[in-house]
Amino acid sequence: MSVDFLHPGEGAAIDSDVPALELRGIGKRFPGVVALDNVDFTLEPGKIHALMGENGAGKSTLIKIMAGVYGKDAGTMRMRGREVDIRSPRDSLKEGIKVVFQEIALISEFTVAENIFLEGYPTGKAGSIDWKKIRTDSAALFNRIGFNVDPAARTGSLPVSQQQMVEIARALAHEARVVVMDEPTSSLTPNEVSLLFTVIRRLAALGIAVVYVSHKLDEVFEIADTVTVLRDGRHISTRPIGEHSNDTLIQDMIGRRIDNLFPRKRGVPGSKVALSVENLSTAKKLNDVSFEARAGEVLGFFGLMGAGRTELAKAIVGYDPITSGTITVDGHRLAPHDTRTGVKLGIGLLTEDRKSEGLMGELPVYQNASLASLGAFARLGFVDKAKEHKAVQNYVDRFRIKTPSLFQQVKNLSGGNQQKVLISRWLMRGLKVIVVDEPTRGIDVGAKSEIFALIDRLAGEGLAVVMMTSEMPELLGLADRIAVMCEGSLTAIMSREDATQEKILNAAIG
Amino acid sequence: MSLVSTASAKAEPSMLARLFARQELALLVCLVLVLMFFSATVENFLSVRNMTNVLGQASLALTAGIGCAIVFISGEVDISIGSLLATIALPLIIIMNDTNSLLLGVGGALLFGLIIGVVNGYLTAYAGINSLIVTLGTMFIMRGGVYLYTGQRAIPDDASLDSFIALSDGRLFNIIPYSAVIAIVLLAAFGYMMQHRPFGRQIYAVGGNQEVARLAGYDVRRVKFICFIISSLLATVAGIILAARVGSAQHTAGLNFEFQVVAATVLGGVSLAGGIGSLTGMALGVLILQFLSNGLRGLGLPTEWQLVITGMIIIAAVAFDEAKRRRANGG
Repeated sequence: MSVDFLHPGEGAAIDSDVPALELRGIGKRFPGVVALDNVDFTLEPGKIHALMGENGAGKSTLIKIMAGVYGKDAGTMRMRGREVDIRSPRDSLKEGIKVVFQEIALISEFTVAENIFLEGYPTGKAGSIDWKKIRTDSAALFNRIGFNVDPAARTGSLPVSQQQMVEIARALAHEARVVVMDEPTSSLTPNEVSLLFTVIRRLAALGIAVVYVSHKLDEVFEIADTVTVLRDGRHISTRPIGEHSNDTLIQDMIGRRIDNLFPRKRGVPGSKVALSVENLSTAKKLNDVSFEARAGEVLGFFGLMGAGRTELAKAIVGYDPITSGTITVDGHRLAPHDTRTGVKLGIGLLTEDRKSEGLMGELPVYQNASLASLGAFARLGFVDKAKEHKAVQNYVDRFRIKTPSLFQQVKNLSGGNQQKVLISRWLMRGLKVIVVDEPTRGIDVGAKSEIFALIDRLAGEGLAVVMMTSEMPELLGLADRIAVMCEGSLTAIMSREDATQEKILNAAIG
Repeated sequence: MSLVSTASAKAEPSMLARLFARQELALLVCLVLVLMFFSATVENFLSVRNMTNVLGQASLALTAGIGCAIVFISGEVDISIGSLLATIALPLIIIMNDTNSLLLGVGGALLFGLIIGVVNGYLTAYAGINSLIVTLGTMFIMRGGVYLYTGQRAIPDDASLDSFIALSDGRLFNIIPYSAVIAIVLLAAFGYMMQHRPFGRQIYAVGGNQEVARLAGYDVRRVKFICFIISSLLATVAGIILAARVGSAQHTAGLNFEFQVVAATVLGGVSLAGGIGSLTGMALGVLILQFLSNGLRGLGLPTEWQLVITGMIIIAAVAFDEAKRRRANGG
């Protein structure tokens, strides 16, 4: 009774009285933490069920248990009334549970088409792979969904957004009874999001139970039938979406009300120019970009996908080469393509892709935090560990970084706390300008407000903050001035007071 | 060459342009350049006799190289193959001397190879010990064992079976050495497996990204385990051919062989990081180094110089490859 998205109509009618998947009393502990405590979660066939909660609420753990990545310590799982024992991703896939993980889970060296059929290659005579079927079926699948991705492309050469589409398509290539999507829209454009929603509704119409994990309230209100909220590893509520408002949902998630997502404590920015960029161009994207950022100011850069925000961020910190123009940090010229001098002058980048460009997941918190300032702790060429630990502890306290100890591997921290470790690294170095690229990508509401408070605080301490974002509320809530980019050029700079959503969008479209 | 290029059939044969960007073509060009250079400078270099001789000499590295490349692609290394070459000659020769049966001798050798593969594979994949360490260990253990057992004297092949001797000097149609035929058949078969069988693609996936492979439902440990068994069995085949060639079991057989194979495999574009490269590339790497060594000898250059030149070529090739990859990834 499963349904194959490639061949809809083949699935038989679904008995909607029996839950597609029923989790009862699920418990999971990790050393020192109870991740899930007696959680119930029931998925009806043909329904879209949103799963919400703050960082550390237990969403990821619950998904990973469904996916067979983790084993559960307590509780039962039933697929359509039958108790199942899922011990590995293989078991989970066999039961028809398809999970689209937030972190891209694709083989970069493979083609898109091959990645789509990774979990089960169609085979022809004598068990050899039917490459032709793989190519035609993957093309057909993208066609059906409406995603524009080249099935013959090498996956690693695609931008993150397209890889995310490949992930989504992959979940639909095989028979599925339950499809779980963990923040599937984090790098999609609004147009792509609406395509995804069409797909999700069609999945539901085919009788598939869909789990939709997102931090974006508007998305959840648009797509979900039911919402389950977890908090601190416990089940808080499961209600039809109609019974929720923004406020009640947030209240369930954080257990208190957030009155102001953007608390502004800092004063008015000074007049001292901390960063000055003149006529900056790069080979690939940027075209004659000029602007200044002042100490104590948050300068927000807005742009649609491909506008060049990330490229600008990388160029101004000296990470990427430039073809013309000048970058001046605190009165000193920064030679292009020279992060060493960049760090010395006091400009740092907080990247969108924390894992591959910022943090070393295997290393402990303290080493990640102190990485850029080891010189300051060195005595006769050796790092003074005590001094180093003390300095890092200071930041852990100051930013309330949630970690069991300084020696915890960074990969075990939540997204928001990883972000704070990165920020600590740059602050420790004595930063004057910090460039943040999509600071809240993949971070939930509660942690978002902490990141916003942090950015406010950084500016309050006299740093110039250059913030690249595609989130309008974030831009309007945080920035002192707003710069808008379109196709590699700067199309507008306006003060917060003059800015309206319309003005910004007009400039972004060009 | 035609059989070898069958093995190169790619996962996406539709894109001719992509094929040209591939490693194999650059290697083929290198091989042709090497052949052209020596055909102009060394007498009789291009003769059928010399060509087939080189192919025969290359067959050991080609055969064992398949296993080496497969283990590399799975994200591990196996440097025990040289010692294995010497070790499996013991059961092979002793059983043949006792029973006058090639079949039993080969069976005994393969069984021994299988055991070594199981040990390497188990310790790496299931016990989680680094494969470099594991195979370094089994390399020393086996070499030491052979020294102890033989007392550093060769154990001659007294049975002198015709079928066994044919492995060394027999030629198909009186042209291609049987050893080369074996290597080419194995290359074609395993090349096909790597590109067109689900298990072959699983090896690439496991080497490309272990966690992703696990999420796709693959038994990562089992895949790696089997790769080590394949490697040991293929090294055993190479060891049988070597024993036939020298007509005895010798304690020094296959000394440094693993490094020749690793060198050729890396030259052939198979990445130590896993998930990248092909058996065709490995085979071209072996042939380039073999023809180079043959040609340099023809020019009268001493062996010492061949080592120096081989070393430089490997570093240059990998550096070139790295530069290309970096450009392709737009960094």
